[in-house]
Amino acid sequence: MTGNVLILCAAGMLVSAYLMVAQKALFTAIRLYSAQSLLLGIVAATIAFSEARHDLFVTAALTVALKGILIPWFLMRVIDRIGIHREIEPFLNVPASLMVCVGLTVVGYRVSTGFPEGARGVSHHLIGIALSMLLIGLFLMVTRKKAITQILALLTVENAVFLVAVGVTSGMPFVVELGISFDVILAVLILGVLVGRIVDRFESMDVSRLSKLKG
Amino acid sequence: MNLLVWTLVVPLISAAAGGLGGPRPFKEATLVGGLLLTFGLCLATANQFLGGIVPAAFGDALRVDGLSALVLVLCGFVGLLSAVYGVGYLRRNEARRLVTPRMRRKFYALIPAYVFAMLLVSVSNNLGILWIAVELTTLASVFLVTFHDRDTSLEAAWKFLMLGSLGLAFALLGTVLLFASGQGHLGEGMASLNWTRFMQVAPELHPFTLRLGVVFALVGYGTKAGLAPMHTWKPDAYREAPSPAGVLMAVGMLNGALYCILRVHLISKASLGPEFSGGLLLMLGLLSVLIATPFILIQWNLKRLLAYSSIEHVGIMALGVGLGAEAGVFGALLHMTYHSLVKPVAFFSAGTLAQLHSSSDFDRIGNGTFSRAPIASAMLVLAAVIMTGSPPFGLFFSEMTILRAGFLGPHVTATAVFLAALILLFCGFAYQVGRIVLGPPRDPAERRIPQPERFDLGMGTMIAAAVIAVVSAFYLPGPLMALIRAATQVVWGGA
Repeated sequence: MTGNVLILCAAGMLVSAYLMVAQKALFTAIRLYSAQSLLLGIVAATIAFSEARHDLFVTAALTVALKGILIPWFLMRVIDRIGIHREIEPFLNVPASLMVCVGLTVVGYRVSTGFPEGARGVSHHLIGIALSMLLIGLFLMVTRKKAITQILALLTVENAVFLVAVGVTSGMPFVVELGISFDVILAVLILGVLVGRIVDRFESMDVSRLSKLKG
Repeated sequence: MNLLVWTLVVPLISAAAGGLGGPRPFKEATLVGGLLLTFGLCLATANQFLGGIVPAAFGDALRVDGLSALVLVLCGFVGLLSAVYGVGYLRRNEARRLVTPRMRRKFYALIPAYVFAMLLVSVSNNLGILWIAVELTTLASVFLVTFHDRDTSLEAAWKFLMLGSLGLAFALLGTVLLFASGQGHLGEGMASLNWTRFMQVAPELHPFTLRLGVVFALVGYGTKAGLAPMHTWKPDAYREAPSPAGVLMAVGMLNGALYCILRVHLISKASLGPEFSGGLLLMLGLLSVLIATPFILIQWNLKRLLAYSSIEHVGIMALGVGLGAEAGVFGALLHMTYHSLVKPVAFFSAGTLAQLHSSSDFDRIGNGTFSRAPIASAMLVLAAVIMTGSPPFGLFFSEMTILRAGFLGPHVTATAVFLAALILLFCGFAYQVGRIVLGPPRDPAERRIPQPERFDLGMGTMIAAAVIAVVSAFYLPGPLMALIRAATQVVWGGA
């Protein structure tokens, strides 16, 4: 039962990453990220429940509160303020991107087979999905032009790392987890401020225009 | 509270005081006084270590061994220099009415905050705290990159933060995988991420997971150190950051990131043997030196030139460690020390020239700066001579040590390529610096600069830094040498 919930949620996270690749409306992309984080929270809570590790409940609560609610809300506010709602044509079109992502998922699963015996079964899927999400996040980052999408790509990578953390190690030490969450929030806030300033200055959120510095 | 904790708390207080309002002399005093005290505390901590006590706090989450002590002292030193020069820097800009109260607050708060984060990196024994501290250095420095609020500074800050965050995401994954590789052996709670714990159970770590973790962690922290091919943020950030912040990045951050790399390397070495991570370091280091060479030859901006020089130097350090010989490790740590002593001179002289000409681009500075700003130009030449590894200065000895270790070891081809690149780098640097400093100005208008060079606090700091850099070639204080040896023992012996 627990295993099914875990695999279902992790698969949901992977699907949300795929949908993000196919998505051009920024609001929807942010909602997808929010859903992804909620699923991550459920994964953490399920593991906490089944293995009776109570500090993982706090991790789950933090994930839901910060990544599921606070960060998406903040990013939506940034978009509202600057009034840009759609991603422009990416460097690679959507069908081709999705094909690439399928390939990346295969790679992710292939790498996950190298983990030790204990990581077979459920953990095997968690790691495979996490590595696939990591690669998809990287792919999003290099093919998209809008600053917000790049932030979302970075956050997807971050979620993938957390999925590995809960999937393989059943959570990092609590203090470390807290510090990491705090740093991530701070980074997103600063990125949001920078996006605001970039839009004010260049009247666009297209980061491919940031190309004066070379050589 | 113990000494180690005070070393970290003092810059934090200084940052808080700097972020508040208050008259200018008060702020200058808190910045310089705070970082002077910090440097003193760093020395005291290192001294405690040399005295045979291992300074530690929070259940060994913070712990000072030889490597930590060396990086700590170097960070404290450069923090102090940067603070004193920074006060002079702001005064110069203040005289030209370029500084708003907001900028002032930002500067006086972020410089000590940045120093705090770097010191925290250098004393972290816990891999989780280490990651958090490195992320803090990134966050503290973003708004220093945007300090001048130009179009290009936003671009630089964006690239800096995106690449830095991505690198740190990799480093975090690396940390998680390292932790995963030791499941069942590391124990419970906070101490399970301690580096010392990893070293104790090194033979038990799961090889595949460890390998994957080491690759991610090295690439991630390598991004922060500016190892090629993850170096692309560096030239942009160096150009845009004010020179007091630039020197913190080029010395403090570089040493701190190298510290992280070495910690990961040591875990890998203890568990998998020296070839795996050593080979990676050798490759990344050589690549950095090779990539820096052409970009130095075609460079169009003085501070970007320094950035490529720092990519080269971090490459040399990584290469020295990667050679897998004790002499190579010693050479790398000696290189780190001498590099930390000379880089401030380069930044302060380049910064002074940039301030006088209101830009660090070569075409804005023009030729023949020697006739306009003789002292800063002379210092730039001196720094270039030292940085390119000319005898009799320190970097010559460290590079010779590394070369010797390389030619005696199994990696002769790599060492030969490295030597060739060093020679090209020397020529490139000589060409670029000679072009700026010497030669007649192209037209008479170039002879005039907005502000003549005059003796002020910034120049005083520059000269003091130059004296230290030159003297260190002939005389390294005994305790500093002891620290380098202790650090070598950590990196070579793993103790």
